[in-house]
Amino acid sequence: MNGILNILAILIFPSGIFLLLNGLAYEWVDRKMLARLQNRVGPRWFQPVADVVKLLVKEEVLPRDANHTLFILLPIIAVAGPLTAALYVPIAGLPPAFSFKGDLVVALYLLSLLTLCTGLAGANTRSRFSLVGATRTLTQLFAYEAPFLMALLGPAIVAGSWQINEIMGFVDGRWLLITQPLGFLVAIIGLMGKLELPPFDAPEAETEIVAGALTEYSGRGMALFHLGKVAELVIGLTLVATFYLGGVGSPLEYLLKTVGLLLGLAGFQALMTRLRIDQTVGLWWRYGSLLVIVQWLILAVVKFVQAGGAS
Amino acid sequence: MDAEALLDFDVLEKLLLPWAESVASPEPERVDVVLAAEDLVTAVSTLLDAHWGYLAAITGLDGEQLEVLYHFCQDAAVLTLRVPLPKENPVVPSLCGLIPSATVHEQELMEMFGITVTDTPHTGHLFLPDDWPADVYPLRKEFDASVVVGDGRTAAPSPVEPGSNKFIVPIGPQHPALKEPAHFEFAVDGEIVTDGAVRLGYAHRGIEKATESRTWTQDLYLLERICGICSHIHTLAYVLGVEKLAGVTAPPRAQAIRVLVAELERFHSHLLWFGVAAHEAGFDTLFMYTWRDRETVMDILENLTGNRVNYSANLLGGVKFDVTPEQIEMILEGLDFFDGRIEHYLNVVSHDGMFLQRTRNIGVMTAVQAEQLGCVGPNARASGVTRDVRIEAPYAAYDVFPVEPIIATSGDLEARFMVRLQELQASSTMLRRLLANLPEGELTTRMPRKIKPGETISRVEAPRGELLYFIKSNGANMPDRIKVRTPTLVNMASVMSLAVGHQLADMPMLLAGVDPCFSCNDRAVSVKSVGVDGRIWSWAELRQYGIDWYANK
Repeated sequence: MNGILNILAILIFPSGIFLLLNGLAYEWVDRKMLARLQNRVGPRWFQPVADVVKLLVKEEVLPRDANHTLFILLPIIAVAGPLTAALYVPIAGLPPAFSFKGDLVVALYLLSLLTLCTGLAGANTRSRFSLVGATRTLTQLFAYEAPFLMALLGPAIVAGSWQINEIMGFVDGRWLLITQPLGFLVAIIGLMGKLELPPFDAPEAETEIVAGALTEYSGRGMALFHLGKVAELVIGLTLVATFYLGGVGSPLEYLLKTVGLLLGLAGFQALMTRLRIDQTVGLWWRYGSLLVIVQWLILAVVKFVQAGGAS
Repeated sequence: MDAEALLDFDVLEKLLLPWAESVASPEPERVDVVLAAEDLVTAVSTLLDAHWGYLAAITGLDGEQLEVLYHFCQDAAVLTLRVPLPKENPVVPSLCGLIPSATVHEQELMEMFGITVTDTPHTGHLFLPDDWPADVYPLRKEFDASVVVGDGRTAAPSPVEPGSNKFIVPIGPQHPALKEPAHFEFAVDGEIVTDGAVRLGYAHRGIEKATESRTWTQDLYLLERICGICSHIHTLAYVLGVEKLAGVTAPPRAQAIRVLVAELERFHSHLLWFGVAAHEAGFDTLFMYTWRDRETVMDILENLTGNRVNYSANLLGGVKFDVTPEQIEMILEGLDFFDGRIEHYLNVVSHDGMFLQRTRNIGVMTAVQAEQLGCVGPNARASGVTRDVRIEAPYAAYDVFPVEPIIATSGDLEARFMVRLQELQASSTMLRRLLANLPEGELTTRMPRKIKPGETISRVEAPRGELLYFIKSNGANMPDRIKVRTPTLVNMASVMSLAVGHQLADMPMLLAGVDPCFSCNDRAVSVKSVGVDGRIWSWAELRQYGIDWYANK
């Protein structure tokens, strides 16, 4: 019985089909909102699903100079990472399917798998656009990853646990956004960097390097990378909403808070000019990590004072 | 020295007398000096030492003998150095040692006329495809288009030696950054560009040659189709030149309407460019907004002329349509709308921090560089070089309705944005004055079917800078030669020289910064092989490859 439930958790809910459909729906919200802000009509509601279906039925071209095993395997790993991470995250406002001590760190590293695979996929082909794109993807990974991780560890420090389930119990009803505004800012912008949304879309800047690391991908591989990205969008939004927006205790709360964040992200995207990769790195190491370290210092001082007051 | 002093024959004769075989002034603002080929370089260096003018174009002519014309412009004055050459083995020295920007003109001369230019840096094809057969020169009179068959065996130029380890990022001929085909190759070290090369000509249609076999009236329609963005300005240069040759002047109302359409076209062209440039920077919201606003001017032009792209406003001797008071009302409403929007956009490009990161101090071109590279138009004016034909040599109605010159000094991408937007403000002011004082009278005047023999140079300010037409008539109902020098050709040189040392991410912006217009510029398709030998494939080979590939699948 338990085995069947586990398989259901992976294939249907919270991971698997539900997560992917949820991601595609959120992609539509993002695209539609961005389009409206840019004075365009935007796609119809089923467009993201139609895109994926179409990609899946298309021929997949294997580049002559690439390692074919890696070429086929990388998209699968890329989509497996976020799907696994979803098992430890309160998707749809329900408690995580699995939980153990320190699962927060595991989930965050599983999320990085997609970016890593994208970089490797770009480096695997001989296309010069892919190679430049791969370099940029990995450079950007090193830029935002540490601040983003630190920003999500802020609430964990306050909660005194690195287990998502326990942090959820702690933050329920407490909007850490108010007490840790710097951490929230870094987390939300880090999420944009992770998802390569404008202004952090230098790795796939179409006017320079066409589609960046994924230039050589078509059909199935392209679709899987895309699905991995939308799954990551949902998990990222869920994590930020859980940690900083007072938790996601019910499906309704989950919907309101994640969609609210998503609309904010779309607004950000519409406002920004693409940053060059050197500017992205500069921004993260000069300001992003500094902000989050300041946040940590404040936390440390408050914790110290509280500990002093209690003793 | 001002132009009038130099148009004084005495001064020019004194300057060029040692080499001049004869001096003539066919038109009030023009001086023609005939030279021998071996004296050319010394004569040009004398001109440069006296700081007289800039090299605007090099025209080749074929008749009894070959002739090379070097046009130098200063304000309204045009000095032409004419070098007659024999048909067999014609040779001229290169001017690139003195004027680096001469290279593109010399390349064109070599491939189109088979004139050997000694010591010129680039000897490959500029406009013609790489598989163009040797010893076939399309602008020679004896050229027969039916015999041209490409042999499909030469490779496109590359910025680095074959076998080198440099990493080259190709942009084009088909690439999301380019809305028209051109081929750029950038050698990069990490993200830094270390070298660049450009291959033009993908949109070459042989229009200059085609004008020679059509009547003066038919050419009007052909030249309108050189460019889809600045179509009106091409016909304007043409009709003004032909009218000058025929000794006819269009009525004042026609001239005013020509200027009206030209300035509305500038609105349309600059807003289009603004959107594209914003898109290259990755600021798609700005792109969408500018293109939405641009619809206003497109609607005005459609209402006035009946067309959204090729307005077909000009006729030889006048214009096709009148402007009604209701239309004036509509244009004024449009201008009011634009005044508000342009102010907003000026605010965006000068204050948006994220956008400024991509434009401020990027691609800085000093005034000296701009002069040396022969830049024209907003590109030169952003670097503090005052070159605007509308002001220096007013044509059509610009003498009655002058525009205010717009100059910036910083020479970076930001300045190029500011200059173009402020130009629209100046245009708007000028158009209001023009619409309030539109001259009354006829729209057309009689034009002879055959044009008197003669040569003329017609210069106008296209949205991208000075557009120069050289028109020669031999008295027939067809022109003997029409030479078109577009602003993009001379501005392109600045991209390649500014590219080195910048980041790869800045390349699309730098390219967009000059507002390139390749269909203007190129006026044949070659495909680089996917195979190992990097050769060019002919259409037949490509077709066969496709058939074989599917047969063996």
